[in-house]
Amino acid sequence: MTTVDTRRSRPAIVSQAFMVLLTLLFLSPVVWAVVSSFKPAADIIRDPLGFDATSFTLDNFTAMFDSVPLASGFLNTAIVLVLKGTLILFFAPLAGYAFAKYDFPLKNVLFGTVLVTLMLPIIVLIIPLLLEMKEFGWINTYQALVLPDSFGLAFAIFWMRQVIASVPDELLDAARVDGCGEFGIFWRIVLPVIRPGLAGLAVLTVMNIYNDFIWPVVVTTSDSMQTLQVVLSTLAQNISGNTIGADYATITGQLLAASSIALIPLLVIFIVLQKHFINGILAGSVKG
Amino acid sequence: MTAPSALGFRAVRRAPQQGPRWSLLRRRSAPYLFIAPFILIFALFSIYPLTFALRLSFTDWRGTGAATWVGLDNYAYLLGNPAFWASLANSGILWLLIIPAQVVIGLVAAVLLNNAKLRMRGFYRTAFIVPFVTPLVAIAQIWVVVFDQNYGPVNDILGAVGLPDIGWLTTSEWSKPTIALLFLWKTTGFAIIILLSGLQSIDTSVYEAAALDGASRARQLWSITVPLIRRTLMFLVVLQTLAVFQMFAEPYVVTQGGPYNSTTTAGLYLYNHITRADLGTGAANSFLLVIAVMVLSLVFVRLLRPKD
Repeated sequence: MTTVDTRRSRPAIVSQAFMVLLTLLFLSPVVWAVVSSFKPAADIIRDPLGFDATSFTLDNFTAMFDSVPLASGFLNTAIVLVLKGTLILFFAPLAGYAFAKYDFPLKNVLFGTVLVTLMLPIIVLIIPLLLEMKEFGWINTYQALVLPDSFGLAFAIFWMRQVIASVPDELLDAARVDGCGEFGIFWRIVLPVIRPGLAGLAVLTVMNIYNDFIWPVVVTTSDSMQTLQVVLSTLAQNISGNTIGADYATITGQLLAASSIALIPLLVIFIVLQKHFINGILAGSVKG
Repeated sequence: MTAPSALGFRAVRRAPQQGPRWSLLRRRSAPYLFIAPFILIFALFSIYPLTFALRLSFTDWRGTGAATWVGLDNYAYLLGNPAFWASLANSGILWLLIIPAQVVIGLVAAVLLNNAKLRMRGFYRTAFIVPFVTPLVAIAQIWVVVFDQNYGPVNDILGAVGLPDIGWLTTSEWSKPTIALLFLWKTTGFAIIILLSGLQSIDTSVYEAAALDGASRARQLWSITVPLIRRTLMFLVVLQTLAVFQMFAEPYVVTQGGPYNSTTTAGLYLYNHITRADLGTGAANSFLLVIAVMVLSLVFVRLLRPKD
């Protein structure tokens, strides 16, 4: 089979070329935005592709922090992340375990509600949910940012059911024989065994919460309750000409600075946890 | 049922009064208790708002004052309104621009990543998923700057190779492709990983047999790989179809639905009723959209269902 190597070299080069091209396409907007955020605002517009490290400045960042409440946005996002993340990462595996490892009347109907929830995006529920929040007096509160997300929970349950289905039944039965209670089995056997899948779900959940945009836009009415994404989007509205007197270059510079800062936490989380994340997606996805 | 000691639990843990019947009862009720939190959230924040929205969709309520029952007027208004159909068509065109491209690029990249001989596999896998972990609003704003007709780097690059400037965000011909590119850029890495999970479940001996039969790589991809990962493909297509028809933040941030409503997606059109306080029509629109999305999902589930 010595000839195989020479025959294979051409496809290998084509493969590498395809992968390099994809990598460039995927990374260049992020790299461009981060690099540009350090350029003087006027240069970003005059010469978008120019690169002159000697002219790098933090002006865009200082101007941006003066004009938008990015810090309070970060804080609100962090609070929502902790509360909502904890709820989802506890209740989704619990329900996923019930669907994966128990047989009970109405199981299919109940799992059907999970699937239907996946087809009911926040956008179709937004009007009645908003009115419900008014009724509860929850407008501009953390509970409104945290609780009304059946979609997020349903997605996590769907995902966890896939992951937990692969846990061997024998392991659960052995624990049962040992006198372990039903919740004990979940807590001491299932959770430790599915840790990689759970880590994947955690990253996915953190991302979804961090990126959540529509609901925070409609349910927060004061600057002090806005999450990071909402704060960011106000800059984009400035760029479409709503701010009188601010010029395009200045706002573009601030926008790129704010976007770069918003990118950092997720990129760091991802790079630290990337193995878990990718393996988690691999574990939770539908195969075959 | 052996090897209990390996787990380190002692039988003593079971209290004496808990007979077999009690433990059976506990075992029977456990799954309901485990699902209860979801059912509670579902009832409070899906079912309740849905029934409320259903009633709302038969009224002309505008957020204040008394609501008048208008029967099916809201539905009739929407179904007879070209703007409603245009919003669905916009989403449909975006679907066509996005899904086939994503499936093809995703499949090719996943197959290459699945080949142990490919160098720098780990690096590519990480690089591809980076867009997926970037915050959507941040990247949507970067898109606004990158695709700006006069000051953006994309037109700069086009100019450098002698191509004319393109009004990416300002012409109705290019606005949809620009939004589609954003969606593709953001989610194709995720699609690649999903497809990779399907590929990893394939028994590689199938390919050895096919290679012996002299089947080309493209032929193997189409007639062996694709059928074997049908369920994964279905999962991906349904997931992305839902996402495309619910697309909101991308056009909201990048184009605000313009120019000339060319990027007013189904989700954005629905949102516009809220900003006009036209809540009855908005509620009716919600139900029409839910029906459309459900029908589409069922169609794909049917089409991609394994033959067995």
